[in-house]
Amino acid sequence: MSVKGFKEMDFYRKQVRSDCVELLSRFQKTDSVRFEVFSNIWREMKFSHIFYGTLNREKRAFSRLILDTAYSFFLPPFSFQIRVGGLYLLYCLYQCQTASPPEQIRLALKDWLDLSKFEKDAVDAQHLDAVYILRQLMFQKAFNFTAMPTVLVYKKKRKVEKSAPCEEFMERATRPQELINIELLEELSNIHELYGNLKSSVSLTSEQADPSFNLVRKDLIPQLRSTVMDFYKWQQRKDGTDEDEDSDEGTSSKQECSKRAELIASIKSKAFGEAAEAPKSRRHRQVEVNQTNYEAGPSHSSGYSRRNKPSLKTRTNENLYISGDLWKEVTTATHISRLTTLDFVRKDPRIAQGKTS
Amino acid sequence: MGIGADTMADLKSVCSLDSLRCHPVDQPPDTDFVPPDPTLRTLIQRKKKQDHRASLKICKNRHDLYADELERLTVGRKPEEEADMVPEGEVVLTINVYYPATFEKFTYVRPHVTLLMTGSHSLAELRDAICCVSDLQVCGEFSNTPDMAPDFISKDHYKSAFFYFEGVFYNDMRYPECQDISITTIEWAKTRNFPAYSQAKMEDTRFVDLKLKVGFPYLYCHQGDCEHLVIITDIRLTHENDCLDKKLYPLLTHKHRVTTQKCAVCHVYIGRWFTTDDQFAPSDPCLFCDKCFRMLHYDAEGNKLGEFLAYPYVDRGAFN
Repeated sequence: MSVKGFKEMDFYRKQVRSDCVELLSRFQKTDSVRFEVFSNIWREMKFSHIFYGTLNREKRAFSRLILDTAYSFFLPPFSFQIRVGGLYLLYCLYQCQTASPPEQIRLALKDWLDLSKFEKDAVDAQHLDAVYILRQLMFQKAFNFTAMPTVLVYKKKRKVEKSAPCEEFMERATRPQELINIELLEELSNIHELYGNLKSSVSLTSEQADPSFNLVRKDLIPQLRSTVMDFYKWQQRKDGTDEDEDSDEGTSSKQECSKRAELIASIKSKAFGEAAEAPKSRRHRQVEVNQTNYEAGPSHSSGYSRRNKPSLKTRTNENLYISGDLWKEVTTATHISRLTTLDFVRKDPRIAQGKTS
Repeated sequence: MGIGADTMADLKSVCSLDSLRCHPVDQPPDTDFVPPDPTLRTLIQRKKKQDHRASLKICKNRHDLYADELERLTVGRKPEEEADMVPEGEVVLTINVYYPATFEKFTYVRPHVTLLMTGSHSLAELRDAICCVSDLQVCGEFSNTPDMAPDFISKDHYKSAFFYFEGVFYNDMRYPECQDISITTIEWAKTRNFPAYSQAKMEDTRFVDLKLKVGFPYLYCHQGDCEHLVIITDIRLTHENDCLDKKLYPLLTHKHRVTTQKCAVCHVYIGRWFTTDDQFAPSDPCLFCDKCFRMLHYDAEGNKLGEFLAYPYVDRGAFN
């Protein structure tokens, strides 16, 4: 594909991105990861029409552009629902494109692990349609396994535009909750108890342990738990909810705790009164109030933008006023053939330079 | 995966392409034009461009035709013999070789040639595929012996060349006349504070053995001083839609065509002779094509008429 093709496509880049963002935000509002929902939105927006009207030589470059744009929504750090939406979008675009033979989806080496993890998450949560679509794409050999996600093109830009990723699609930060989960706390409390028992059994005096043996913070586990819950509450507040209503679906189904652990878990959750953090694959079901002022794409502050200077021809035409005959002479081609001379001395004086006019 | 046949059937029907169809079954859409009342922003923009284009009258230009032809010839070609098929799991590299930068108007366009190569090709094969006009140049004045000029092409005289990738110079040692022209650079670098460079043979190294950075500029040098920038723009595994005929690689996918200068007399053929101090020529220096040159400067027997100096000229666009 020529470099010129890419330059033309730059013209479309912003609009294509905003169309994809529009589709995915509608998908996000439905709070579902089902393909039927996605295809409903697709049909509503008549998205297949996005390929119509391209010239034959632009078809390939346009397919490349839109597949690359859609691919960016398939990768982290976007939330699971948006990633599933990105996958569906890739599938639909790949099927509906007009370039022939079809343009492939570029899968970079660095994204392979993320893809495998995504597939595993989908399988675990039994999102069969997502898994089916992914495997269907693999089966149809829609992927090109590449080193880099986009083909490199070198072109100078006056103003480098940085497109910030859509904030609404980002996944909430969950690392504290993942690290300090229920099982970990249970383990820690077990060990803490064992340690306490062991300590009291080896100490000489029965009840009062020697103060020098107190090397561990006594209330470590409750403190950890309360810190994580505080963080979670703060996140919820930041997102705009006061109370979490979705408590019945929230509890993770992954844990297979023993009876004692279940008891601990129930006591703790009753004590703090809010749903535990759901696993990623169901996270989209948690109720959140989306910001009402949705804007399509971030509005980055336009930096110094240079007004295009009018060309020399237009400037001359504007500034110069030439009357009749002279104008005619100026616009027709000149017949003078030698307007320049050499700057070195000719060896043979016999060879004269003739000027004809 | 362990799901039942019914679920599979359900899945298939839900995810089938029918669900994506945005038009009624019996009315296939006209894909060449933007549909009326577009709601997508891309379509609105494209419609504007389409209307604008309809008001002008631009036909396809020559360069697009050449590019289309190149693509037609190469995409999806399968070989006739099984042995020439590119094996699965082969890596394809896209290499940009830039023309040597000797002209000033260099700001927006970087003229280059794009070649596709497989991982099992050697660097020597890449070297053979790079066409540079400086290889055809002939040094010397040939007004007295115009017929002897083609015997002296620089490509045959100066066969040495090297590639530079990641701190290693790969020299071409296939012919006995080849010298190691990278040794000067290596020795110069040793005297200053550069990390040590090493050498290797071009014909023994294949692309899979190299450690490369995508997008990083490397060097190809031949004729002693003609230097080309080499950049790898893409590396990927082969796919069934690629050209699978091994014989067609290295594959040319893009080439910049340079405007050529024509003969001063006929303005039809590309200039092949360059004359100075010429009493017959209207300007100094002057370009002639072969026919006009001989007609003007030599008589029917091939004797030189008058005084002039003639040099064979290779136009920059000779490979168009």
